[in-house]
Amino acid sequence: MVEPIDRFEAELKEQLQLREAPAGFADRVMARIPARREGRHPWAPVVRWATAAVLVGAVVAGGVEHDRRQRIEGERARAEVLLALHITGTTLNAVERRIQADGASERSQQNAEGTDEQQ
Amino acid sequence: MERHQARVFSIAFRILGESGTAEEVAQDVFLELHRVLPRLESDEHVTAWLRRVACHRATDALRRRAARGDAAAEEYQDGMQLRPAMRDFLPLMNRVEQLLLTLPPAQRAVMLLRYQEDLEPEDIAIELGMPQATVRSYLQRAVKMLRAKAERTLKEYSRG
Repeated sequence: MVEPIDRFEAELKEQLQLREAPAGFADRVMARIPARREGRHPWAPVVRWATAAVLVGAVVAGGVEHDRRQRIEGERARAEVLLALHITGTTLNAVERRIQADGASERSQQNAEGTDEQQ
Repeated sequence: MERHQARVFSIAFRILGESGTAEEVAQDVFLELHRVLPRLESDEHVTAWLRRVACHRATDALRRRAARGDAAAEEYQDGMQLRPAMRDFLPLMNRVEQLLLTLPPAQRAVMLLRYQEDLEPEDIAIELGMPQATVRSYLQRAVKMLRAKAERTLKEYSRG
């Protein structure tokens, strides 16, 4: 003998059997999956901004590195020019001193010869 | 998906009382499942996840409908009678489904998990994140209310 409340609950279960989803339901869900993946992925904006930030960073870092190398090259060239000028100046001074020394020697020799002739 | 779609659609349809929105909700649930599937460890886990999310999404959709002022969403406040807006759907629904729509949404979800999904009150409490006492109270009140309505409108459910 089933109690009335049990009969009612049994009727609830009976009438609440699963309903079939509308025809084509699975196809419609599958059709939405790629669209969601491509168009509305929650990380897509983050990935885009991160990529842009990395690219900008790479460009800036490349520019800074290029400037640094150019500055080093410039300093090296300047040092080489200064060294060359220094060497040239030293050589010219030595030559000048030698010319002056030779000139002074000749003049003193001539003076000595002139004094002998007068005597 | 074929194995679970009837379950998800049934929950959404019986909470919302309308096929179009129920399908939208069911589709959203499966799209979300597609995203979280790698984190679900077993078929039981998937089934429990689908039940829980279907109940919550359908209840949310019902609230949104209520916020828009759709009379059908507030059907349960009407007490004993289905409003005219709902009568359009009646030929598609059985008597129990019609009576379920006269319950508050939280009670609808609890009743579906008990009588459609055949879960025990303690399992319903876990799936819906409610205290067991609340689930038992909802079940008692809902069955009592449905029986009273059935007695009034459907003679074959009468206790007498």
